[in-house]
Amino acid sequence: MDNRLKQDALIEEALNSQSLAPMPRSITVDVMARIQKDTRPAFITWNDFALSLVIALCIGALFFAAQNLPPVMLAKIRIQGILLYQDFLVNMRWLIPALFFGLGAFFAALTIPMLYQMMVGRRR
Amino acid sequence: MSDNETTLIQKAQKGNHEAFAVLVDEHQRYVYNLALRVVKDENEALDLTQETFVRAWTALPNFKGQSQFRTWLYRIVTNLCYNRLPNLRRSLNDLGDDVMEDIPETKFNAPADEFESNETRKHLHRAIDALDANYKLLITLRYQNELSYDEIAATLNLPLGTVKTGIFRAKEQLRKSLVHLEDSWITA
Repeated sequence: MDNRLKQDALIEEALNSQSLAPMPRSITVDVMARIQKDTRPAFITWNDFALSLVIALCIGALFFAAQNLPPVMLAKIRIQGILLYQDFLVNMRWLIPALFFGLGAFFAALTIPMLYQMMVGRRR
Repeated sequence: MSDNETTLIQKAQKGNHEAFAVLVDEHQRYVYNLALRVVKDENEALDLTQETFVRAWTALPNFKGQSQFRTWLYRIVTNLCYNRLPNLRRSLNDLGDDVMEDIPETKFNAPADEFESNETRKHLHRAIDALDANYKLLITLRYQNELSYDEIAATLNLPLGTVKTGIFRAKEQLRKSLVHLEDSWITA
């Protein structure tokens, strides 16, 4: 037991006395050069800005078009919408359980990595 | 984290290059040392250190100060090491957590006269260098970078038990090496 304690002490001493490896050279200049080249992305990039602008313009155009459509046209659109909904209720009943089943399968698939981790952990 | 470092981090987050340069100066040696112990190649370790700080700069606005800045850097460099050594992550996960004994957090201070010779120390240092990359990563984080077991677990995203098991096994390997040295002295 004494020998084991002595070994522990020797090992601890060796681990604590291991010095940090000296750097062959400082990397600060290299890092700063790379940082100045690759500028940090701003809160949003120009691509994000352009895309959001296009989407906003489309929504705005739809809104103004809807405001300026003749009332007869609006009524026709509403009728077509109701007909489509009725058609959906009558002929697409299978779609709702199918959608739920698909969603269920999707969420079940999301648990696979966690279950795998648990299985691997238990095997250990 | 000192107030000075917190100020430097805040300045760097706002895009101050000088503040970030000071942080790089302060931490590069520890990051390099960690990379070197794992990849065992000076040039590769320098590359990884440089890449770590470039990534740190990019991700700095997301650093919320929930962990220490240095442990955050160690997490980045460790992830880069995982990319270089694909088996490293798996070998750490495979360590398991079968060490039940509680390893004391405090360091064991051996009296100077316990160290019989420099030869033993050198032998142990060589044995430490020869450890597998996963053990060396744990040992370096614990003894050179002076992280607690909890901090190592958080840095490597490993269970605390796995960290303790890894360090325990690394020490057992060193013990075997020590016994081997003592046996060679007896037979000589």
